[in-house]
Amino acid sequence: MTDSSAKAGVAERVAGATPAPLARRIRGLSDKAIAWLFIAPTILLLLAINIFPLLWTIYLSFTNYKANRKAEIRWEGTEHYTDILSDPEIWHSMQVTAHFVFWTVAIETVIGFALAYLIDRRWRGHGFWTTVILIPMMLSPAVVGNFWKFLYQPQIGLFNYGVSFFTGIDPSSFQMIGDVSLAPWSIVIVDVWMWTPYVMLICLAGLRSIPDYIYEAAEVDRASTWRRFWSITLPMALPFIMLAVLFRGIENFKMFDLINLLTSGGPGSTTEVASITLKREAFESWKTGYSSALAIILFVAVFGLANIYVKALNRVKQR
Amino acid sequence: MAEVVLSGVTKRFKTVAAVESLDLTVHDGEFIVLLGPTGAGKTTTLRLVGGLERPDEGSITIGGHDVTHAAPAARDVAFVFQQYSLYPHLSAYDNLAFPLRSPARRVPEDEIRKRVGEIAEMLRISAKLQNRATQLSGGEMQRVAIGRALVRRPSIYLMDEPLSSLDAKLRSDLRLELKRIQQDLGATILYVTHDQTEAMTMAVRIGVIESGRMIQLGTPREIYTAPASVYVATRLGQPAINLLPVGLLPDGGAPTGGKTVGARTENLRIAKAANGSANATVDWIEHLGDQNHLHVTVGDHKLVTLADPESDLAKGDRVSLSLVDPLYFDASGKRIAASGKARIPQGNG
Repeated sequence: MTDSSAKAGVAERVAGATPAPLARRIRGLSDKAIAWLFIAPTILLLLAINIFPLLWTIYLSFTNYKANRKAEIRWEGTEHYTDILSDPEIWHSMQVTAHFVFWTVAIETVIGFALAYLIDRRWRGHGFWTTVILIPMMLSPAVVGNFWKFLYQPQIGLFNYGVSFFTGIDPSSFQMIGDVSLAPWSIVIVDVWMWTPYVMLICLAGLRSIPDYIYEAAEVDRASTWRRFWSITLPMALPFIMLAVLFRGIENFKMFDLINLLTSGGPGSTTEVASITLKREAFESWKTGYSSALAIILFVAVFGLANIYVKALNRVKQR
Repeated sequence: MAEVVLSGVTKRFKTVAAVESLDLTVHDGEFIVLLGPTGAGKTTTLRLVGGLERPDEGSITIGGHDVTHAAPAARDVAFVFQQYSLYPHLSAYDNLAFPLRSPARRVPEDEIRKRVGEIAEMLRISAKLQNRATQLSGGEMQRVAIGRALVRRPSIYLMDEPLSSLDAKLRSDLRLELKRIQQDLGATILYVTHDQTEAMTMAVRIGVIESGRMIQLGTPREIYTAPASVYVATRLGQPAINLLPVGLLPDGGAPTGGKTVGARTENLRIAKAANGSANATVDWIEHLGDQNHLHVTVGDHKLVTLADPESDLAKGDRVSLSLVDPLYFDASGKRIAASGKARIPQGNG
């Protein structure tokens, strides 16, 4: 036997050991078919847990369906939608939501950017303080909700004590959670406390992306600190700030956990944001069809606002 | 414009001395180029004059005022950075106008328009003035960056390898342009580069820097023909100077103490020779278009010289090499004058 024929023998044996039918089947498929084969499981999963529930919710929003009662499903058309849009209570909860979103995002952006600006000075120990500042963000909303409830206690709460320490007001003379005029601010304070670090982190990324030599050039060009801030720092960090605003805005529009734990929408309905109303209608009143319609309205509102905003963001980035 | 004097300036980063007891006087209206390899301390020297770094020792005066510890804004300098340091959200026009709009200067808006227009004309970017900085090409961005320095009339222009990020064509255009602008304005310029062509063509004087020290300061001609040391000699010349032991090639008598011979193309005589008188062999010839680099082996030394484009030398040819007025260096690398004829002027480094 020559050397080459021995090699051919090995090759034949290897080919024989390969399961031919499988090989042929895969070889028979087009690239497109193989690609579909790979993404099909993900698509099926997405259809099952995202797309189907969405479509089903849209369907239910036109019916009188109640999830806790076995009854014939009756088509009611756009009745829920007209009900919701003419319901003053819904508009009230929209107002509460807008108040919450506006003030949390505004305060978080201002404080978050200011903190990022300070941290970016890179003073001694700034790394340690960055970590300390980030702690609230890492906590579970359930934990935060519960311990702020304690902090807000008029008799034993640290918050009331702190306010009285600095202003001299009697600590038990006011209740953050129980008072109609203070409750909306109590949830704003907690959200700001918890999520300002997040805004700071994004702003810090923006500030760090500005190269030092631009500042040096400005310094040589005799730009004052003020002018450097307005003509370099702010415009170059703006896309990042806008991104933080977008994230916090969407997040707080659907804020549920913190508020549910702190005030559950009370007192009365002063802190009843849209998501709390939704939960009430869906799982306390069991008006499934009605709450489906409300969910769709909220979804469209967030989606529309976010889209307009993203367009604006892209314009700023392209400048 | 004003005279800038550095005396005994030292700058350390942690324990490393980037600049060490450096003395330098830039005369009013002079174009000085600092030449040296990466990490020699050229840029640090420039940043010290600009106030972006503060010296650990020594003093810096601009126009007679001690500015050693003054902030950049108080020094009246203009700086061109190696990177395009434009304000990205501003138009080319606003970038050029930026330094003039400093509240400290109070330049009226129509004066700004006139100055920016002139500079844009000079740098041929008039058509691009309304473009945002990010919409400009690399060459345009760097021209705007240079223009931003030129709109002002500072005591001194500091330029840190402003042409290094441009392509060869634009680099040679801007090189001529800068030299012309400098002469037109009578500007004082301190310019940093590691490009010998830029140094030779633009400088009134060249300062060669090694490890933070000024090794030699002189006119391009002095630096080229009378380098203070082997280090300086290797900075200039294309192809680079050949360093050979004394006695390897016939040279008509080395001075006492001479250990190394430095031979550039113009110091080498090459001729085809019969085997008996030949002392070298042609390895190969590099054709660069306008010139031919001839690689030659002498004993166990290799050297590179230019060959006449019409020369009929070919690979493997035996040649005879001899030296004409080469440079001599002693054992420590310092140049020593050739014996007898003192044809070469002394450097004032």
